[in-house]
Amino acid sequence: MSDVQVLKPQKTWSHLAARRRKPSEYEIVSTNLHYNNRDPNAPYELAPDVFMNTWYKQNTFGTRLKHADWNAFRDPDEVIYRTYNLMQDGQETYVFGLFDQFNEREHDKALDPRWAGSLARLYTPARYLFHTLQMASAYVGQMSPASTLTNCNYFQMADSLRWLSHTAYRTKELSLAFPDKGFAQNEQRYWEEDPAWQGFRELMEKVLTVWDWGEAIVTLSLVVKPAVEEAVLRRLGESARHNGDTLLGLLTDAQLIDAARHRRWTAAFVAMATETPGNLEQIKTWIAKWEPLANRAIEAYCAALPDVSTAVEATKLATRDVRRGLGL
Amino acid sequence: MAVLNRMDWYNLARSTNWTPKYVTEDELFPPQLSGDFGLPLNAWETYDEPYKQTYPEYVKVQREKDAGAYSVKAALERSRIFENADPGWKSVMKAHYGAIARGEYAAASAEARMMRFSKAPGMRNMSTLGCMDEIRHGQMQLYFPHEHITKDRQMDWAFKAYDTNEWAMIAARHFFDDIMMTRDAISVSIMLTFSFETGFTNMQFLGLAADAAEAGDHTFANLISSIQTDESRHAQIGGPALKILIENGKKEEAQKRVDIAVWGAWKLFSVLTGPIMDYYTPLEHRKQSFKEFMEEWIVAQFERSLTDMGLELPWYWDIFLNDLSQTHHGMHMGSYFWRPTIWWNPAAGVTPAERDWLEEKYPGWNDTWGECWDVIIDNVVDGNMAQTYPETLPYVCNMCQLPILGTPGKGWNVKDYPLEYNGRLYHFGSEVDRWVFQQEPERYAGHLSIVDRFLAGMIQPMNLEGALAYMNIAPGECGDDAHNYAWAEVYRALRTAKKAG
Repeated sequence: MSDVQVLKPQKTWSHLAARRRKPSEYEIVSTNLHYNNRDPNAPYELAPDVFMNTWYKQNTFGTRLKHADWNAFRDPDEVIYRTYNLMQDGQETYVFGLFDQFNEREHDKALDPRWAGSLARLYTPARYLFHTLQMASAYVGQMSPASTLTNCNYFQMADSLRWLSHTAYRTKELSLAFPDKGFAQNEQRYWEEDPAWQGFRELMEKVLTVWDWGEAIVTLSLVVKPAVEEAVLRRLGESARHNGDTLLGLLTDAQLIDAARHRRWTAAFVAMATETPGNLEQIKTWIAKWEPLANRAIEAYCAALPDVSTAVEATKLATRDVRRGLGL
Repeated sequence: MAVLNRMDWYNLARSTNWTPKYVTEDELFPPQLSGDFGLPLNAWETYDEPYKQTYPEYVKVQREKDAGAYSVKAALERSRIFENADPGWKSVMKAHYGAIARGEYAAASAEARMMRFSKAPGMRNMSTLGCMDEIRHGQMQLYFPHEHITKDRQMDWAFKAYDTNEWAMIAARHFFDDIMMTRDAISVSIMLTFSFETGFTNMQFLGLAADAAEAGDHTFANLISSIQTDESRHAQIGGPALKILIENGKKEEAQKRVDIAVWGAWKLFSVLTGPIMDYYTPLEHRKQSFKEFMEEWIVAQFERSLTDMGLELPWYWDIFLNDLSQTHHGMHMGSYFWRPTIWWNPAAGVTPAERDWLEEKYPGWNDTWGECWDVIIDNVVDGNMAQTYPETLPYVCNMCQLPILGTPGKGWNVKDYPLEYNGRLYHFGSEVDRWVFQQEPERYAGHLSIVDRFLAGMIQPMNLEGALAYMNIAPGECGDDAHNYAWAEVYRALRTAKKAG
């Protein structure tokens, strides 16, 4: 046995040890965590052709978006669970502080009833839209080939629940201030019937049935989210400010902080993906496929927003700028 | 009040089902992923989670919990608890982290499956929080052991275990992949949250935390009891789903999933938690025996959860109750004998004082397991160390992937439960394992156990050395006796005294 090499302790996990650099807490707890890439024949330890193994082989490992090592992806913000809660508890303290102060000074009572009607139609039904983002991020997360990508999507899923929660909260408050506007009652009807929402509804229903991981992450991060964020956060916030609704403007600004973080990891993702020949074209193909539907959603929604006359074109331009900034 | 109460807006936040128009309901919620049991969206809208928490409450409470667990770790970092711990206790930590940490991280994606594919909106929000919880558990249970990595190469397995074909990890993956990674949303809620988490994680996290506190490892005790506070919230995701299934005449299908998951969990615990509690934890720190913990947490508490839910006890309950006194002793002896194939150093746990404790807790232990240990002890005392090691692999069960075993000595009951399916012969360690296979043979039949792989020539050379290479475990990582056989000294002294007498 004397010639057998005995492995010695290292400074970090063996998979990180070769780099001779002290790993950060982020790297220690976030990298290479999935174990479903061990056996290309059977992602999970069951019969290779069981439904879910086939699903992953086809949609995660068989996607047309290729990279030799997705595990090399790093979130530029290096968010881990612990810091996510530190950060978002602080953000929530700010938002609930706003709710508290504006309630104290009877903000809602000062709103124009016509604007309240616009809120009932164009703001509070957004909880359905935000929930579809939550679902879409959950799917992309569970299908991602690298835990570092998965985590970005799961935090994004939680942020979508955050936006939905703010909306539910305000829905209730507005229902108390304006009992005759249908708040807390008509949201589903608006979401399902109002022409302003049908573009987003169609976009989300169809995007939620994209199963290929590559197409799903590209569509969600580069087409859907820019459209939702520019229209239903930024442009709605602008319309709110023009209608004396300071609270909603501040609220959407707070939510856009999350969106900006999502865009930072998306930018890192695009930069990494386009290292591989063919991916740039593939990403552009998917964008071209989905952009018209997203544009129609923006047109339908933004055209209905009061007092922001250039909303449609400005919003479409903003989403294109997001992509152009990434070389797309 | 300037701020609304939670329940003023909670229901709005979970009123998120809508009627799809541009795709069909089956396209939006494919039955194989959703597991709707043929029930439409509105049937699932009655889902009412008992443990209600909002997003702002979640980030606040979790921030505080993390502050607690991480500050205990930071405060005790220079305390040399690890260096001074009994080697048996270090093995407890190594086995736990390796088998659990990345499995918990994987559970985040099982939660995400419920989030995306459940038709119950309340379940979708609770699973969002559950998914976050599991990221927490994965990340903490990697960060905490990483502190010790420079001291001990086996600690690398807190990360590495899931990437290997080490036999116990094949078993762990087979179980977790079966109940959580390859099931539809509703089955995940029944099998992972209701069956495994309600039933078993209390046992692993609170039972082990009690032992950890006794052993003076407050960092570990704090960590795993903090984790359990999350588990006790998201474990409640499955209950309301079961209620809906039972109300809609789907009790039989629900019951079957519970029965499959509980049995698999039991087998995994018999190899992981049983030896830890009854053999590795130093005698003076043992709070209760494994069987007593099981009787308290599983038999008393989980039985009540089942009957409260309107479910039956699993059909094999008598077999299970009987096995509580037996299976883990065999698993311990097996993993001790095959110790080069595991990433921790098993404590034999068979000094005369420990045997007295085992005999008290498990009457008849000396006449059964004790007889085999007598042989091992004699070999150690005689210096016949080669006789205390294996030369090849044990036969393993095609369901639980663990050795097929029974009770030796005067209680001999070792038996194989074979089954021929599609022209192939499968072997099982119990009637229940075979029954699980028969429920959905297509899930399992195409899988090769480590012995199947050995016989198929996938492990070369076909000896222990080849098996170790296949398992990616090497000297420096391979397990050996936790106390370097120091415990055998008392037997050596007894023998000398006997000769002199």
